[in-house]
Amino acid sequence: MESGWASEHLQVIRTLMERAAVYRRALAPTTLVTGGIGTAAALIGWFTRIESPRGFGLFWIGVSVVAICGAFLTVRRQALKDKEPFWSPPTRRVTQALLPPLVAGLVATLLVVLSAGALPARVWWLPPIWMVLYGCALHAAGFFMARGIKLFGWGFIVLGCACAVAASLRMDADGLPAVRNAHGLMGATFGGLHLAYGAYLYLTEKGKNAA
Amino acid sequence: MNPEPFLQLDRVIHEKGRLAIMSLLAAAPQLAFTELRDTLNMTDGNITAHLRTLQESGYVAVTKSFQSGRPLTTFALTAEGRKAFATYIDLLEQIVQQSKGEK
Repeated sequence: MESGWASEHLQVIRTLMERAAVYRRALAPTTLVTGGIGTAAALIGWFTRIESPRGFGLFWIGVSVVAICGAFLTVRRQALKDKEPFWSPPTRRVTQALLPPLVAGLVATLLVVLSAGALPARVWWLPPIWMVLYGCALHAAGFFMARGIKLFGWGFIVLGCACAVAASLRMDADGLPAVRNAHGLMGATFGGLHLAYGAYLYLTEKGKNAA
Repeated sequence: MNPEPFLQLDRVIHEKGRLAIMSLLAAAPQLAFTELRDTLNMTDGNITAHLRTLQESGYVAVTKSFQSGRPLTTFALTAEGRKAFATYIDLLEQIVQQSKGEK
């Protein structure tokens, strides 16, 4: 008796069981919301001249809280629309994967903000730290998601490292630009990159973008 | 080859659509109707028929609830369904092992 079909059945079962664990919500709306919040925050930070190091750190902590809330509300809206549970096992897994680097980012931010009074230039370490840790968070979550999230995470890690090197070189040479420019950097990365990636996803995701 | 394992395969599970549903439910505590339908790319009628067969066999339990005022229908494997699925996998593995032994 031929047993090739049995092997194929086992392979199909494995594939389907893996697929059940994958996060399925459309990523384009969440990414666009996050990018929109990042871009708007950068513009607010730039034009309202939030230039003190402490103000910069606290402002962007607030923005990250708003962005996280926005992302969760978008995901919840999609779940309700699709008649699916919001706090599903894949959503839990993605959240658990995102959490450790984000908590580390919060602690690092508080440390820099608290010591920024003495050394204002230290605030320039925040965008690279945030980029690297956020990239790590995306990469970890990417193991439970499709659609190139791991690569997007790597993009943030590489950019963060490049910014750290640039900040380090400028710190040794002719000093760093005004804190105001850091808002521009945040807008370009956390705003612009999300919007670009969201637009790409929006154009390529099928039938999942209405939420 | 000994045909015994093949003859013991559960006919309810040994159907492409139902096997797919059982596989997904075996990997998740529960899944919504739409999650099953979209993941398996099945029509409403097709998946409903398979789910009804699995329910009648006692392999799948259905829960109807409300989430923010909207109806939510979720499915989960029963203990009996989980046991039947595990037995089905064991039999498939036996068939594969037998085949390897004969080569």
